[in-house]
Amino acid sequence: MTRCLLVLVIILAGLVIASLALGDVALSRQDLWETLTGSHDRTSRNAMIVFDLRLPRVLLAALVGAALATAGTITLAIMRNPLAEPGVLGINSGAAVAVMAVIVLLQDPPALLPPVAGFAGAAAMAAAVFLLSWRGGTSSLRIILTGIGLGSLAGAATTFLSAFGDIGDVQRAMIWLAGSVYDASLAKVRFLFLWLVIPLALAWMASRELDLIRFGDDTAKSFGQPVDRTRGLMIVLCTLISGAAVAAAGLIGFVGLVAPHVAGRLVGPSHARILPVAALCGAILVVAADLLGRLVIAPVQIPAGIVTGLIGAPFFASLLWKRRHARG
Amino acid sequence: MIRPYGMNTARRMANDGGRPLGLLLLFCLLVAAVLWSLASGARHIPLATVWHAVVGFDGSREHLLVMLIRLPRVLAAVLAGSALAVSGVIMQVVTNNPLASPGLLGINAGAAFAVVLVMTLFGTGTGDVYMWYAFGGAGAAALLVHGMGSFGPSGHSTIGLVIAGAIVATFLTALTSAILIFDQNTLDAVRLWTAGSVTGRTMAQNAAVAPYILTGLAAGLFLGRHLVTLSLGAEAARSLGQNQAVWRSVSIAVVILLAGSAVSLAGPIGFVGLVVPHIVRLTIGADYRWVLPFSAVGGALLVVVADLAGRMIFGSQDFPVGVTTALIGAPFFLWLARSRAGGGS
Repeated sequence: MTRCLLVLVIILAGLVIASLALGDVALSRQDLWETLTGSHDRTSRNAMIVFDLRLPRVLLAALVGAALATAGTITLAIMRNPLAEPGVLGINSGAAVAVMAVIVLLQDPPALLPPVAGFAGAAAMAAAVFLLSWRGGTSSLRIILTGIGLGSLAGAATTFLSAFGDIGDVQRAMIWLAGSVYDASLAKVRFLFLWLVIPLALAWMASRELDLIRFGDDTAKSFGQPVDRTRGLMIVLCTLISGAAVAAAGLIGFVGLVAPHVAGRLVGPSHARILPVAALCGAILVVAADLLGRLVIAPVQIPAGIVTGLIGAPFFASLLWKRRHARG
Repeated sequence: MIRPYGMNTARRMANDGGRPLGLLLLFCLLVAAVLWSLASGARHIPLATVWHAVVGFDGSREHLLVMLIRLPRVLAAVLAGSALAVSGVIMQVVTNNPLASPGLLGINAGAAFAVVLVMTLFGTGTGDVYMWYAFGGAGAAALLVHGMGSFGPSGHSTIGLVIAGAIVATFLTALTSAILIFDQNTLDAVRLWTAGSVTGRTMAQNAAVAPYILTGLAAGLFLGRHLVTLSLGAEAARSLGQNQAVWRSVSIAVVILLAGSAVSLAGPIGFVGLVVPHIVRLTIGADYRWVLPFSAVGGALLVVVADLAGRMIFGSQDFPVGVTTALIGAPFFLWLARSRAGGGS
């Protein structure tokens, strides 16, 4: 466990340093060191590149990745379905339809509106899924089915808007939704960090409850767990975490689905271990995706959400399959 | 995951013997919807004329309208709807996962990627050509998923297939969005197709995929008994002497045939394959010998009605049927899920 965490932290640190150094203007190791320790003045060109452009971006990517992975771990535990990710709760489809509507219907919305609409859409959808599936208690199957139903309604609205909206607006909305960390600023990073720190800590403190509920409702109940209340609280946490991540960076898919599986294979079934490892895996995945997305065919930048699919999918396929062979 | 709610309803339904009657009723509804769809539109055509157009085509304006525009369109809706619904049933049994649909085999993502790639490389053209690219893309993606899913010592596990499907679909979807984000012309040309549509289908297109879909439907109905066994879980199936690897592969081959044809005919309609099986199971129970025919008729009915509604309510000939299926089906499905699924706690 400790060794695994250490390795992941080193990988993440390496990626962060690479993200700070590489780009249109590549900085040497010495330049970067001097800029970071502040031996040059803060107004130099290098300082501006590092502190104003690259640092916020890499921090945002790491935060978003950790948030998505944590939300994915929670969903996996409370739904007990290997395909469960925060999208099952309607978070993605809710955010997508809200953002698509704002961009297509308002033509030229103020910059702050899409993220706010994204969060509002995600939260409203998660609340609707939970309330509509509540009938004297919760059931993971009913939540999943309700999520499918409401999700496809929202999806139909999104499809309608994208089929008949102005083509330029549709494309702009698609880029936003593809998930990217282009417009990061330190203010945004600070806000997201303050927003996430309490839910993330709560999720980690609740890891024993997650262990229990994963055994099944009946088992968890016989251990004295108030299953319905736990599941409800976890859904609230999950919405706060992944809704904020979606608002900050759009729909970066796949991280929430795959990071918990990888973490589970690395450190076993205990959530006290899975949560931090999954968060690190998620951060690594998004930081690496953003780095590759802006380097591969520079100056064109590929949104991070697309790179996670392009690079992350084959990579994790090989990882999962190798582990499986190793176990026999 | 699927069993709990299905089995309870199955017990409830086992005694009343209402299923053949129900199926007949549903089929009559489908026939009525098809006839209504042929008769109504911008120009109303009496049913007698529709009938004469089919049996004694005389080349008049109304006969041309029926034979060249409305009939192909309705046929495409029937074929695509039944194929998607049946392949959805099979997918949910094979993966034992209520979130599964033909899309999980990479069918939709593969078809969309193939069509978008061809459009970008060779420019936009007519719908006839894309059908085969869509079919090829869907088939290739599904074979890849199946290969990955059954690869390795603990292969043939449902979880392997599920994760392989998620990975391949994610990868192909990412490639597709990467192309669309940078290529506005292709996005403009393909966005109606990706919404799912049966507008402007020709008799030739229907005839091209009909053999595959009919074969797939026949094979799917024949699979019913084996699906019941598969749905009982690995151990029960083994103790009943079922060779799971073989039947799972056969099932997936049927899904590829059905869903691949449907997607190439009507575009990637996700809703039908995902939700119609749930609606049927929530209504009549989990006996797959009955779920399959009910889904085939129900899926066709949903798509025909959705297409009709798109034309009548929104008054537009090319309102995407993928949108109206969800608008019509989802509220009903939500009500069913709320009132019947998962018991009290």
